Amino acid sequence: MDYIITTEGLTKKYKTFISVNDCSLHIRKGTIYGFLGPNGAGKSTTMKMLLGLTAPTKGRFTIDGRRFPEDRLAILKEIGSFIESPSFYANLTGRENLDIIRRILGLPKDSVDDALELVGLTEFGNRLAKKYSLGMKQRLGLAGALLGRPPILILDEPTNGLDPSGIHEIRILIKSLPGLYNCTIMISSHMLSEVELMADDIGILNHGRLLFEGTLDDLRQNTRKAGMSADHKLIENQLEDVFLAMIEQDNAARKQRAKL
Amino acid sequence: MRTLAVELRKEKRTGVIPVLLAVGILGAGYAFLNFIVRKDTLLGLPLAPMDVLLTQLYGMITILNMFGIVVAACMIYNMEFKGTAIKRMYLLPVSVPGMYLCKFLILLTLFFAAVALQNLALVRIGMTDLPQGAFEMGTLMKFAGYSFLTAMPVLSFMVLISSRFENMWVPLGIGVAGFLSGMALANSNLNLLMIHPFLIMLKPAVAMSAQPDKMVAIAAFIETLAFLGAGLWMAKNLRYE
Ligand SMILES: Nc1ncnc2c1ncn2[C@@H]1O[C@H](COP(=O)(O)OP(=O)(O)OP(=O)(O)O)[C@@H](O)[C@H]1O
Ligand SMILES: [Mg+2]
Repeated sequence: MDYIITTEGLTKKYKTFISVNDCSLHIRKGTIYGFLGPNGAGKSTTMKMLLGLTAPTKGRFTIDGRRFPEDRLAILKEIGSFIESPSFYANLTGRENLDIIRRILGLPKDSVDDALELVGLTEFGNRLAKKYSLGMKQRLGLAGALLGRPPILILDEPTNGLDPSGIHEIRILIKSLPGLYNCTIMISSHMLSEVELMADDIGILNHGRLLFEGTLDDLRQNTRKAGMSADHKLIENQLEDVFLAMIEQDNAARKQRAKL
Repeated sequence: MRTLAVELRKEKRTGVIPVLLAVGILGAGYAFLNFIVRKDTLLGLPLAPMDVLLTQLYGMITILNMFGIVVAACMIYNMEFKGTAIKRMYLLPVSVPGMYLCKFLILLTLFFAAVALQNLALVRIGMTDLPQGAFEMGTLMKFAGYSFLTAMPVLSFMVLISSRFENMWVPLGIGVAGFLSGMALANSNLNLLMIHPFLIMLKPAVAMSAQPDKMVAIAAFIETLAFLGAGLWMAKNLRYE
């Protein structure tokens, strides 16, 4: 299979605490990969490692055949990213912020308008970024990631802080991207119900461990095997429950182990 | 080159450029005002006219410059930490030490402009107010270069400090502490104290003659490079997460 991002036994240890534990991901080229997990599962940490923000304690990964730290500049040139809360220059307007990124990436001038348009910020482009509402900052962060339409997008909870119609709008936008231009997207979320509307593949993380990786259909199959209702409609509703049950089961197993 | 252009664009609305230009203008204004008000007292001092021109005004100008460097250095990195913009930069194909170097160069250039303004004022005063034939352009240039060089350790040190602390009050506090301790120790002749960057900057201001001190100049040069090297190394190797 044609994987664009693969990790092997990726591990991150903070002093005594293991944030990401032996995590092996496989992200297919041209697909949307949903990265699921509850708070503190290690989603952001994994993404930070992929972007070279923090070094793995153990394990390795390749992005489009390249590795950190040797190919840092080449990798970052290809990835549009958005990690945790949006980052921006408070003293610059939204447009000026994007222009800084555009210059660094050496993109044509009109790419800024293109990105503003994509996220629906065109009319607020000339407002200072520090005066933006939370949702507008989030959109600005997303615009920065989409600037120049990079072949790989790594988005950490991009719909955080958006209103319901904003969530819907951004979800539709993200879903349309691989069709709009050929790109691969890794997107993290807490909610399976959100991710299943967009993703082709999903990975479920809990306490730094990868509990499941595969297509949504695989997950449904698993559900059936687990003896849940075969009725398709019901499964749709239960998928979220499956996710929650998986996490709960894993947590219970951990407690058990901790007791021993 | 691209990094420099990008850095310059980031300065918009931060006040870094106005602060240093204001320091230059204020310093020049102070020199003029002083010679208008105290001309006779100053020239009546038992010092050579060139020494009067260069040493009697430098105290205040140096303090002004020190203040300008501290504030501008704090501001130039504060904008990276506000809105965590620097995290965005880590995700882009830019060299972080390159950014650091550009910030250093921007401050250096602006400070140079400020010092140039101040010394233009001194040239003008020297030509009009000193006794006929007493003004020596060469001496002034030499002293201006000397005082610029001795200011470099503070600049280099402050960029290093402000690049390491998210909270702007920390570098500002360190700057003020450096300034106060520098003032307190300014008249000491202990050579070991020359590792104190603020002290080096004050050397020309407390000197009684317009002759540069070679030792001080060499120390200033070494310290500037040492702080710059340390800053670049940290920018490369110690990430802010
Ligand atoms: N710099 C750090 N030092 C120590 N521990 C850290 C550090 N960064 C993250 N952690 C810990 O690693 C764990 C995983 O954090 P991470 O931010 O990756 O979770 P997440 O899956 O993104 O959660 P959320 O959904 O809340 O964003 C957490 O327990 C967190 O406290
Ligand atoms: Mg997170």
